[in-house]
Amino acid sequence: MNTLRARSPSIHIPFRLAQGFLFVLPTLLVLLVVLGFPIAVAIINSFSLPDGGWTLENYAKLPRDGRFRNSLVVTFTFVAGTVLLHLVVGFIIALALNTQVRGKRLFRVIAILPWTVPDVISGLIWRFMYNPTAGIINRLLFDWGLIHKHIEWLGDSDLALPSVIFADVWRGYPFVMLILLAGLQAIPRELYEAAKVDGASTVQEFRFITVPSMRGMILISVALDTIWQFRRFGLVFNMTAGGPGNVTEILSLYVYKQYFRYFNFEYAAAVAVVLAIIMLLLSLPYVRAMVRRLS
Amino acid sequence: MKRRLRPGLILAYLVLGLVLLYTITPFLWMIFTSLKSDKEAVTIPPTLWPKEPTLEAYIQILLWGNFPIWFLNSTIISLGTALLSTAIGSFAGYGFSRFSFRGRATLIGIILSSQMLPGVLLVGPYFKMLSTVELYNTYPGLILAFTAITLPFSTWMLKGFIDSVPEELDDAALIDGCTPLGAYLKVILPLIAPGMVATIIFAFLLAWGDLLWVLVLTSGEKMTTVTLGLTRLVTQFRIIWPQLMAGSMIGALPPLILYLLLQNYLVEGLTAGAVKE
Amino acid sequence: MTKKFLNLLVIVSMLAITAPVVIAAPPVQDGGQDYVVVNDDWLSKLAEKYLGNLLAYPAIMELTNQKAAQDSSYATITNPDLIEVGWKIYIPSAAEAEAYLAVPVPGAEPGEEVTLVFSDWHLTEPHWEKSLKEAFETYGALHPNITLELDYVSYGDKDTKYATEIQAGAGPDVIHLHAYSLRSFIERGFLLDLTPFIEAEGGDAFLAPWYPQTLAMMQYEGSYFAIPGDFMSMALFYNTNLYQEAGLDPTKPPATWDEFLANAQALTRDKDGDGQVDTWGFGTIGAVDPGFELRVSPILFSHGGDYLNEDYTCSALNTPQAKEAFAYFTGLFTEHEVIPPGVTAQNPGTVREQMANEQIAMLLGSGWTAPIVASVNPDLNAFEVLEVADVPIKAGTDPDFTTTAWLSAWAINPNTEHPQEAWELIKFITAKEQEQKWFEDARVTSARSDVSEEYQPLVTDKFAKAIAGQLPKAKFVPQIKEWPQVIEAVNTAAQLAFTGDKTPEEALEDAHNQINEILGGTGCPGF
Repeated sequence: MNTLRARSPSIHIPFRLAQGFLFVLPTLLVLLVVLGFPIAVAIINSFSLPDGGWTLENYAKLPRDGRFRNSLVVTFTFVAGTVLLHLVVGFIIALALNTQVRGKRLFRVIAILPWTVPDVISGLIWRFMYNPTAGIINRLLFDWGLIHKHIEWLGDSDLALPSVIFADVWRGYPFVMLILLAGLQAIPRELYEAAKVDGASTVQEFRFITVPSMRGMILISVALDTIWQFRRFGLVFNMTAGGPGNVTEILSLYVYKQYFRYFNFEYAAAVAVVLAIIMLLLSLPYVRAMVRRLS
Repeated sequence: MKRRLRPGLILAYLVLGLVLLYTITPFLWMIFTSLKSDKEAVTIPPTLWPKEPTLEAYIQILLWGNFPIWFLNSTIISLGTALLSTAIGSFAGYGFSRFSFRGRATLIGIILSSQMLPGVLLVGPYFKMLSTVELYNTYPGLILAFTAITLPFSTWMLKGFIDSVPEELDDAALIDGCTPLGAYLKVILPLIAPGMVATIIFAFLLAWGDLLWVLVLTSGEKMTTVTLGLTRLVTQFRIIWPQLMAGSMIGALPPLILYLLLQNYLVEGLTAGAVKE
Repeated sequence: MTKKFLNLLVIVSMLAITAPVVIAAPPVQDGGQDYVVVNDDWLSKLAEKYLGNLLAYPAIMELTNQKAAQDSSYATITNPDLIEVGWKIYIPSAAEAEAYLAVPVPGAEPGEEVTLVFSDWHLTEPHWEKSLKEAFETYGALHPNITLELDYVSYGDKDTKYATEIQAGAGPDVIHLHAYSLRSFIERGFLLDLTPFIEAEGGDAFLAPWYPQTLAMMQYEGSYFAIPGDFMSMALFYNTNLYQEAGLDPTKPPATWDEFLANAQALTRDKDGDGQVDTWGFGTIGAVDPGFELRVSPILFSHGGDYLNEDYTCSALNTPQAKEAFAYFTGLFTEHEVIPPGVTAQNPGTVREQMANEQIAMLLGSGWTAPIVASVNPDLNAFEVLEVADVPIKAGTDPDFTTTAWLSAWAINPNTEHPQEAWELIKFITAKEQEQKWFEDARVTSARSDVSEEYQPLVTDKFAKAIAGQLPKAKFVPQIKEWPQVIEAVNTAAQLAFTGDKTPEEALEDAHNQINEILGGTGCPGF
C-alpha cells in the first residue's frame, strides 16, 4: 500500500534554474513592493522613541508587561484551539462530502455560508446571540428546558474563551474544508479502486491512501490557518473586546489597543514584532518540510 | 442503482446533520432578523420567527446610502484581488514545484514572513506609499494591498496542487517542444482547477470582508465598500439589526454566486485530467 | 485623480497670483522689515497684516529668532502666543516666509474654488445626516466657492481612521472627535493649533459664550486645538410606568444612593409570575466600551471619589470614597442582582434596548436617551413615560461634583490645504444658530452657555433642562494621554468584580496598582 503515492518524486533539470526564478518573481515583487516598506517602517518604529531617537526600551518593557504575558497565553490557547477544531471539523466534513451521501451539492453551498459574512459582522451577531437575556441561544435553551438560569456565555471568565472559539470555528472551518475537499478531489480514483481490488477496508483506505495523499494539503492548510488565526482580530474585537478582565485579549487585539486606543505606536510595533518572531519560529518546521519536499 | 446504507454512510449523515445545524443556526438567525421590524429585532426575550415578516429592511438597505455603488466597488476590488493573486500565485507555485534554484528556502521564508505583522501596523505606511504614487482611494491601490495578503496562500495552495500533478505530464509537453510557460498553460492549468477555485474564493472573500484597509485607504462615497458601508449601521447609539442583517445577506450573494459558478471545477478538476490521460 | 489635478491647479494659480505681488513689493533690507511690538499685537495678527496670512506666524517667530542669535537687539520668541510690548522682531517678506514654510502660504484667494472634506460619525445617523445636510445648504449659499465633500465614518472606527490618515499626511480637513481623544491626538501632533484663528476672531471675547470647563478641555500647553461641540451631563433616567407598577411614587426619584438601591430592589420583579425575574431595577455597561466611563464616573464622583490625585501623578482609587463607590457599583449586580444578567457584555446600545423593552427601569443617560429609546420602541411613548432626575448622592454629603459629562470637539487636520476655510466651517458649525438647530434636530445640549441656558425651546424641554441644569456639577475625567489605559484598568476591574473572579476590593486594588504603574508613579503612597 505504501507504494501507492499520488506524487512522483520531483525531477529537476539544471537548465531550468533561471526560468524557475522568473515564475516566482511576480509574487516576490508584489510582496516586496507592497509590504516591504510598511514592514521596514514597523520594525524601525519598534526601536524608536515617540519624539524620535533610538531605544531598546520598547522591548525591555515587554517582559514586565503582565498584559502582554497574559495575551501570549490567551493567543496560544485561541490559536491552538481554533486551528485544531478548524482542521477536525473541516476534514470530517470534507470526508463526509466525499462519500455517496445525498444532498452533497446543497451542503457544499451551505457550508461556506459562514465564510461569506465579514469578520466584524460575525462578531456582532455572535455577541447578540450569546446575550444572556436578549440572545437567542439562552432563549432556545430555556424553551427546551435545558437550562433554568441565564448562562453568561461571554460574561463568565471560564466560558468566554471557549465561547469565542466556538464562534470562530463556525466562521473558520469552511476555509479548511474547502482546501481539504479540493485536495480529496485531487486523489486519483484509481488508487481507491486498486485498494478495493486488494480488499482494503475503509479504515485502511483512509490510513494508507487518504492521509498520505493529503499530507501536503493538511500541512499547508494548518500552516496558513495558524498564521491567519494569529492575526485574527475583527471577530474577537466585536464579541468581547478582550473581556471579561483580559481573558480573551489576544495579541492582535492588544496591539490594536496599544496603537489606536493608547497611541503607543512604538510599543505596539515592538509587541507586533515579537509576535512575528514567535510566528516565524513556529513556522520553521513548516519551512523545513517544504524545503525537504522540494529537494 | 440502489444504495445500501453502510455504517460509514450513516455516520456521514449524522456528522453532516450536526455540523449543518451548527452552520445554519446563526445564519437562520440572520435571515429571521432581517425579516423583522426594527422594534421586534431587539425584543426581550427575543422571538425566533418574525411575528410580522417584512421586507422593509431589504428595501431600506437598497435605497439607503449608495448601496449599489458600494456593491459594485466591493465586487471590482474582490474580483480583482481574486484573479490577480490566483494568477501570479499559480506562477510562483509552478516555479517552486517544478524548478530547483538557489535560495528557495530563503524565498519561502520571505513569503511567509511577509504575513507575520498585523495589518494595524502596516496600513499607515502603505497609505503613505499610495499617496506618493497617487493611488490612494483607487481600485488598484486596494487590490494590490489585498493581493499581497492573499498571495502566500495562493502560492502554497497551488504549489501543493501542482505537486500532485504527475511530472511526466508536463515533461512530455516539454519534450514535444513546449516552453515551460506553454507546459504550464496547456498541461498544469487545467489540472489544478480545484485549487484555483479554492484560492479565488479565498481571496475574494478576504477582500470582501475586510474593514481596516478599506476604512483607511478610501475616502468618501465613491470608494466605499459593502462591509465599510454596513458598519455605519452600527451607530454611536444603536445597531440597526434588520438592515445590518439584510445588507449582510445581500452582501453574501456575490461570493455565493461565484462559488456556485465555480464549484463544478472544484469537484471535477483532476478527475477530468486523469481520464484524458 | 480630478481632485489631485484640481489641487495642483489651485497651487499653480496661487503661485501665479502671488508671484507678481512679490516682484512688485518695495525692496527692503533682506526683503523684510523690523517691527516693534505695540499693545494688542500678537503674531498671527501681524502675520495676517504683513504677510496676508495668519498662519505664516511661525515664519516671523523663526526668522526673528535667527536674527536674535546674531543680534541681541532682537527678541527671542519661545512661545508664539506670548510677545511683549517693546520687543523688536523681524517680519520677513512674503518670499522669505514662503521659503521658510517650504510650501506656498496656504489659504485660497476669495472666490477661488475650494473643496473641503468634512468627516463626522453623526453622518451615519439619519436624523443628524439630514440636519447636517440642511445646515450645509445654508453654508453653501454663504460660501458658493466652497464644495463640501462628506466623509462618512462609523462611531467606533473614527479614531482609527483619522489617526492613520493624519499620520500618513492625509485625511479629512475637518473632523469631529470625542473630547477624551483630544489629548492623544494633540500630543502626536495630529491636530492643527487653532489659537491664531481664535485670536484673529477676537480671542477671549470670541470664546466667551462657551463654558470654561469645556474650553479647558480644548487646551494644551496654552494653545487651543479644538472648539467644543455637544455638551451633555449624565443624568438618571427612569420609567414612570414601572415605578407605578412597583408601587413607587414616580414623582419621587431617588435622591440618595440608598434610596436608589431600595427603588431598584422594588423594581426588580417577576412580572409574569413564571418564577423568573424579568424586570430589573437598573441597567448599566460592563463591556470594554467608551461608554463605560460615562456610567461609572457619576457614581464615583457623587461618592466623593476620583480616579487620580490632583496633579494626575498617582491613582486615587485607594481612598475610602473610591472603594465605597466601586463596591456599590459592582454590588448592584453581584450582591443585589438589580442589574440583568450579561452586564459584562452590555454596551450603551444594548442597555438602551433593555430600557426600550421595559426590561430595566433606570439607567444613567443623557440627551440621546429618550429619542433613541423612542425610536427603538415607538409603542413605549418614551418622551412621556421616561423621566429624568439628578444623579443621586451619598446620604448626608454634599459633593461638589455629582456627575460627568459627554463632550465632543471640532478640530482641523494639520495636513489641510485650506486651514482658513476649514476654520470658517468650524465657526459656522459651532455658531449659536447652528447649535440651536442641533438641539432642535438631535436634542443635544450645547457647550455654548448662550444656547444651553438661554435658548427657550431648550430650557423648557424637560430632559434638556435637567441635563443642562446639572452641567455645573459635572466634572470631566482627567485629561492625560494615559487616560485610555487608566479607564480600561477600571473597566477591567469592574468586569472581574462582576464575574465574581475577584472581590470589589481586590479588583480595585489591582486597578489602583496598574494605574500607578501606567503613570510611572513609583513614588505614590502604597506603591
